[in-house]
Amino acid sequence: MKALKLTLSLAVASLWYRRRTLSLVCLTLTLSVTLLLGIQYLRTEVRSAFTSTINGTDLIVGARSGQLNLLLYTVFHIGNATNNIRWSTYQDLKQDSRINWLIPISLGDSYKGFRVVATNDQFSQRFRYGDNQALELNEGAWFGDLFDVVLGAGVARQLDHQVGDRIVLSHGGGSTSFSNHDQLPFRVSGVLSATGTPVDQAVYISLEAMEAIHVGWQSGVAIPGRTLTGDQARAKDFTPDAITAVFVGLEQPIMTFRVQRELNQYQPEPLSAILPGVALSELWRIMGQFERALLGISVFVVLTSLVGLITVLMTLQAQRQREIAILRATGASPALIAGLYICESLALALTACGAAVLIGAGTIASLSSWILESYGIAISLRPLTDQEWLLLGAVPVAALIASLVPAIGTGRASRLRGF
Amino acid sequence: MRNKATQADTGDIPAVQTRGLSFTWPGQQQPMAFPDIDLNPGDHLFIHGPSGSGKSTLLNLLAGMILPGAGDIHLLGTRIDALRAGARDRFRADHIGVIFQQFNLVPYLSALANVTLPCRLSAQRLARTGNQAETQARQLLDQLAIPEDHWHRGVTRLSIGQQQRVAAARALIGAPGLILADEPTSALDTDNRDRFLDLLLKLAERSRSSVLFVSHDRSLAQHFHQQIALGESA
Repeated sequence: MKALKLTLSLAVASLWYRRRTLSLVCLTLTLSVTLLLGIQYLRTEVRSAFTSTINGTDLIVGARSGQLNLLLYTVFHIGNATNNIRWSTYQDLKQDSRINWLIPISLGDSYKGFRVVATNDQFSQRFRYGDNQALELNEGAWFGDLFDVVLGAGVARQLDHQVGDRIVLSHGGGSTSFSNHDQLPFRVSGVLSATGTPVDQAVYISLEAMEAIHVGWQSGVAIPGRTLTGDQARAKDFTPDAITAVFVGLEQPIMTFRVQRELNQYQPEPLSAILPGVALSELWRIMGQFERALLGISVFVVLTSLVGLITVLMTLQAQRQREIAILRATGASPALIAGLYICESLALALTACGAAVLIGAGTIASLSSWILESYGIAISLRPLTDQEWLLLGAVPVAALIASLVPAIGTGRASRLRGF
Repeated sequence: MRNKATQADTGDIPAVQTRGLSFTWPGQQQPMAFPDIDLNPGDHLFIHGPSGSGKSTLLNLLAGMILPGAGDIHLLGTRIDALRAGARDRFRADHIGVIFQQFNLVPYLSALANVTLPCRLSAQRLARTGNQAETQARQLLDQLAIPEDHWHRGVTRLSIGQQQRVAAARALIGAPGLILADEPTSALDTDNRDRFLDLLLKLAERSRSSVLFVSHDRSLAQHFHQQIALGESA
């Protein structure tokens, strides 16, 4: 007990004496641990952000195609729909008592490379992403007028649009389109809050507006004299003939597979119904290379930092032969010297780990909203996972091992060399 | 001096008694042989010899840091070469003070803390200060002419002469039976050397500690009760 107290008090004095060198060592170590935790954190967060791109939607229904294709064009706005589904099919689904809600979407147009998604009020009310989060308007309101448009956060940020701006949509996809809906400009009525999902990268109009701007168009070209003016359009009532896809929410999620099977066998037209979660994890399996690369990087970071830690500790201890000789001559046992080394290394490692966690948490807490606003990546603070605790725990363990090498060496050397 | 009569006269167990000591460093062809030593408690021994004659090896053997290849070592009645490593460490803590040539002090402890260090490692040394380690340390530092404002300072700011005197105080505290000094004056100028030696021997006599003093400077031999020379015969 007394020896432990002496060891601790010597360790404290020794650490304090070397504080300048050690603070640099500790900083290096802290940065490696922060980097390690950061990469690990990013890895899991990107994955969870990806898998929570869409939430609460039980089925996505579109024209017959593969599930990845359907997921890509409905959720990620990548690629094109194979076909549309009839409005009557949508009406049919609406009658189904097992279905709680439907979000119809209609795609095909774009605005400066961003997809135009035509939908109805169900989108703002029912769509969920992340941890069951609803869409929120950062400013403005949802569609009031026929020619109102709501911008995703990313679109508004990149094109620097505010509520009240007038914009002209283009026919078809692509960032440069030669056929624009320039007779019928839209007014920005609202801008969505950032979600960190593809929702940020699209502009939203009503289904009716989508119909209105295509009156008098044939084969992708406006026929002069057959298009409407804004006031003519506002006077008319538009019901779409077809939509691209429907997001479906069921009354009871347990019915999902049954409804999916029935929709896949829907008689009036060929449909595909997919489970977004399943499709997302299939997609992640393809994109997961990136995650594996990050995992590889973090393994190297761990190894590098641990080797660095061992090197630093051994260098420090090599400079202490004189001091150790004095302690040994005064009667300190090799165990006490080993204890001294171990205490110091552990103190260093634990300080670095603590600082790394604080720095990491502080950075994420203070920057997460800024990262979401400026980069559209949703990273939130969460407790450490078991794996991360394990990584964190490996640092003091490595420090312990690193300190044992010279500790054992001291015992042997003093038997061989004397003082 | 090497006779039983002297021992009987003082009625004490000898401070140091070695017989037929030899030691071989790894890679050495010939074992180093050392002359036998008999030293009465409180007597001082001067060990002289050129570099490489095995002076430091002898001190290491006497301190129990290394074990002899042959022969035996009795210190204050204990045969230390028969002790286990841990017991030798404890024996050293309890009964031996060591002064090196230089860099004698733990750099992160104050002068006072360096002096009291043996009392923290050995309950016996603490007990022999009357459980007043700090009081005795202050007395020793005072007697060794270390100015009081230096006591709480980092020891790296002391002069070499002061550092050696602080080391002497550390060796002397708690009145160990034996003080091993490995050329402690070689880094000092003549004035400092004589002063150091005077103080060390005077204070050692007060606590009845035997000093084993290694030096290549033969002129110091006159201060000691006994002397042996290494190298020529070994």
